Amino acid sequence: MALLDQDHALDLLRGIVDGSPAAQTEATLECVEDRFVRFADVGPTQDADRERHLLTVRVRLASSGSQRGAFAGWREARASCGSLDPEASGAALERALVLAEVSDPNPDLVPMGGPVQVSETALQRPTLDHTFREKAEWIGAALSACQGRELAPAGLAQTTAMTRTLVNSMGRAVHGARTRAAFSLTASSLDGEGGSGFAESIHANVERVDPPDVIRRAVEKAVASRVPIPVDPGEYTVVLEPAAVSAFLLFAAYHGFGAREVHEQSSFLCGRVGERLFPEALAIHDHATNELYPGFLFDGEGSPKTKVPLLVDGALQGPVTDERWARRLGVENTGHGRQQPSPDGPTCLNLVVQPGTESLEQLLGGVDRGLLVSQLHYTNMIEPRDLTLTGMTRNGTFLIENGRVGAAVQNLRFTQSLVDALRNVTGVGNRLSVAGALFDGEVVCPALRIEAFRFTSTTDF
Amino acid sequence: MMDSAQAAVESALKAGADYADARVNRLSREQFTLKNGALEGADAPEDFGVGVRVLVDGSWGFAAAPSGAREVHEVAPGLVRRACKAARDVARARTTPVQQVGETGHVAEYVTPVAQDPFSVPLSDKLDLLRAADDAMRGVDETVIREASLSLRREEQWQASSDGAALHQVLVRTGGGIACTVADNGTVERRSYPASMGGNFKSGGWEVVEAMDLPAHGERVRDEAAALCHADLCPAGERTLILGGSQLMLQIHESVGHPNELDRVHGHEVDLAGRSFATTEKLGSFQYGSPLVNLVADSTLPGGLDTRGFDDECVESGRWHVVQDGVFTGYHTSREWAGHIDEERSRGTARAEGWYNPPIIRITNLSLQPGSWSFDDLLADTEDGAIYADTVRTWSIDQRRLNFQFTCEIAWELVGGELGRLLRRPTYQGTTPSFWRSCDALCDERHFELWGVPNCGKGNPIQVAEMSHGAAPARFRRVTFLT
Repeated sequence: MALLDQDHALDLLRGIVDGSPAAQTEATLECVEDRFVRFADVGPTQDADRERHLLTVRVRLASSGSQRGAFAGWREARASCGSLDPEASGAALERALVLAEVSDPNPDLVPMGGPVQVSETALQRPTLDHTFREKAEWIGAALSACQGRELAPAGLAQTTAMTRTLVNSMGRAVHGARTRAAFSLTASSLDGEGGSGFAESIHANVERVDPPDVIRRAVEKAVASRVPIPVDPGEYTVVLEPAAVSAFLLFAAYHGFGAREVHEQSSFLCGRVGERLFPEALAIHDHATNELYPGFLFDGEGSPKTKVPLLVDGALQGPVTDERWARRLGVENTGHGRQQPSPDGPTCLNLVVQPGTESLEQLLGGVDRGLLVSQLHYTNMIEPRDLTLTGMTRNGTFLIENGRVGAAVQNLRFTQSLVDALRNVTGVGNRLSVAGALFDGEVVCPALRIEAFRFTSTTDF
Repeated sequence: MMDSAQAAVESALKAGADYADARVNRLSREQFTLKNGALEGADAPEDFGVGVRVLVDGSWGFAAAPSGAREVHEVAPGLVRRACKAARDVARARTTPVQQVGETGHVAEYVTPVAQDPFSVPLSDKLDLLRAADDAMRGVDETVIREASLSLRREEQWQASSDGAALHQVLVRTGGGIACTVADNGTVERRSYPASMGGNFKSGGWEVVEAMDLPAHGERVRDEAAALCHADLCPAGERTLILGGSQLMLQIHESVGHPNELDRVHGHEVDLAGRSFATTEKLGSFQYGSPLVNLVADSTLPGGLDTRGFDDECVESGRWHVVQDGVFTGYHTSREWAGHIDEERSRGTARAEGWYNPPIIRITNLSLQPGSWSFDDLLADTEDGAIYADTVRTWSIDQRRLNFQFTCEIAWELVGGELGRLLRRPTYQGTTPSFWRSCDALCDERHFELWGVPNCGKGNPIQVAEMSHGAAPARFRRVTFLT
């Protein structure tokens, strides 16, 4: 059992912090239990029953400046180990102290935060107890469904339980737990040359994961896209399904909403905060406490997370902050700190797009000629100031004609500013999903209808 | 440690496994980042654990847990039980049993050749180097980020297999880099040295860092970033493109390396990373590039980030052509996949990220072999209006590795056989075989450099691996540029 309960974890970390000779010390422990089965046409191809610990110690040494006795800033460093063994954690503390000794004082650092209240979170027992046999049953159903339609399956069944605990010498002590269960299926033509379909279901509680629905959606998309037709690149009205919205929007989370990027003038927020540039129907928050898919309720410094508006009433808000950037900007700490020290600034990990009023059929109904995009692939950033992104469509792209889904089309590459795309949102779906992307991260979002989405090249598949 | 790994393998066989391997892995790192003169990243992580993989009832099972050095023998038996149970529990959904090609049970040791152990260098020397590099980038008011970083890794692994392998490897990887970002004239531009994404990385010791001489390049990097803010956008259209090595390495990685992974070709990576256009019927006949194009995979290459004695399936490292004289000739394989193309042995490219993950096929060091041109002669031979571009800014490629779009940090327009007008954000797009077939000139070995990729993601859940790509500047005709 890799997961430590709250009392055990807090005691362990208090022992490390109390034993540190540093002026300020913070200890963080992450525990993970993860079980996954990956599968393809032959059934399960890989599985793992694994656990890990990450125990990190951050220390600060006071430093005097050139003037006798004047405080010149903290000298800070951290070290970590993968073991709860006192010898290993003691060695990590020692390494952190050695690194801090040779560091320069950093006058920007503010004292570590003191006591806070963080709501309790609990592991979802069904997720924790989900077995390999149960995962194999999901996979068996996916194989059967694909076999019946002459499709090749590939996907992942995974359940993960995590705890995170933080204690510092200023009296902060927080603990949280979360679970994640996911099932995804990509159904492809047997020769790999025709179309394909993708669907996934991600929830905190494995009992809410819906494999039959995932299988049905992926297979239907794959069947419908067997013979995709070519279309010309250019501007189209698009309906992005949640998996596509996620891959697109995550770049705003990776790069842009944070105070550091704004300060470094490389954020799309620069010059736009408060300007009513966006449709009022579109609202985005960072919301770790959302009911559908809650995250940890404190950040990398142990500061509480709440619901933070990022785009409301047609205007960008922000930026998000941590202890240091809140002090520097003279604003409230929004609880978006990374584990410190870090060369990167505060970041959003729990984006939630507020649901709108339109069903998928209504979103499609507003399109005379456009494209329904199921998923985006390998999205990456070209330009940070207007968040110009490029990437590919994947696993089911369809013409929309006169409000109805038509023929499947060959995949296209988009090159599109996220800022312009959000300005051009004309419809927000009414059903929320948890959706991931090729790179790390997940977004809780509905489908979106966007005008004048720019596709710059095509493929022949 | 080896005794514990071997005991785990024995225990797995007794528990009914047809095959088993065990890896005890310790990873030690030092990472420093100086940002705008302040040490904003100072980290010394250590990780130690055990991973046991078994083949039971035709299915794989894998279990992994952290351990202290003294507790490996206590942890391993539980992992054997869990791995066997996982394999048995999922075997019912498996339609055909896993089959592996054979492999000799090597008993050997491999240690990265190191002139100076990077962990023995005083911390103050490391920070002094970063401070000197940072100082060299000062002096332009519009600079918003100066960044200098170092990364040192020492990975020690004890691995045993039921084929009788008993291997001890110590892999040392060292690297670093600098970058300067300037915000001016309504844009933000960044220049990096020796490469973007943290710099360059090689297997080796402190000598790798010293050879880069980071402080000597600070001023140039700063001035190029500042100049880019006032440069014209690289124009759209069809032009000749000469790519520098630090961009070519990504071109090799994305459009040759990944499509060459045999598990991917067979659709076993389609759930996340995608498939490959380089299907098996093309092997031996498909014109991947022009006859000048020779791409060699080599996990024995001195300095390569994936240079090692053996892979994580205990298969010895090797060297082979992936593309020879422009023709597609070889894949990256594992013991499970080599038989699918009728090869008797794995190429030895199955690797896992640490002890926590089971091995999957990974790109090894993969290099474009140099040609015969000097860089100056190549420029002189190229028409006005052609583009010389270098250093990765952003990249994207489709799920079959055909349609790519890359943007570089910097470009120059050629005039009179020399570098002329500076251009920002050069973005070029193409299709993999057409692009490589348009290669008509390669610079010689004097311009050849090995570029490390420290953060290649593959798998689901994703794993990170490292490898190098060697390249000298090369010329490509009729390339499409976008704005």
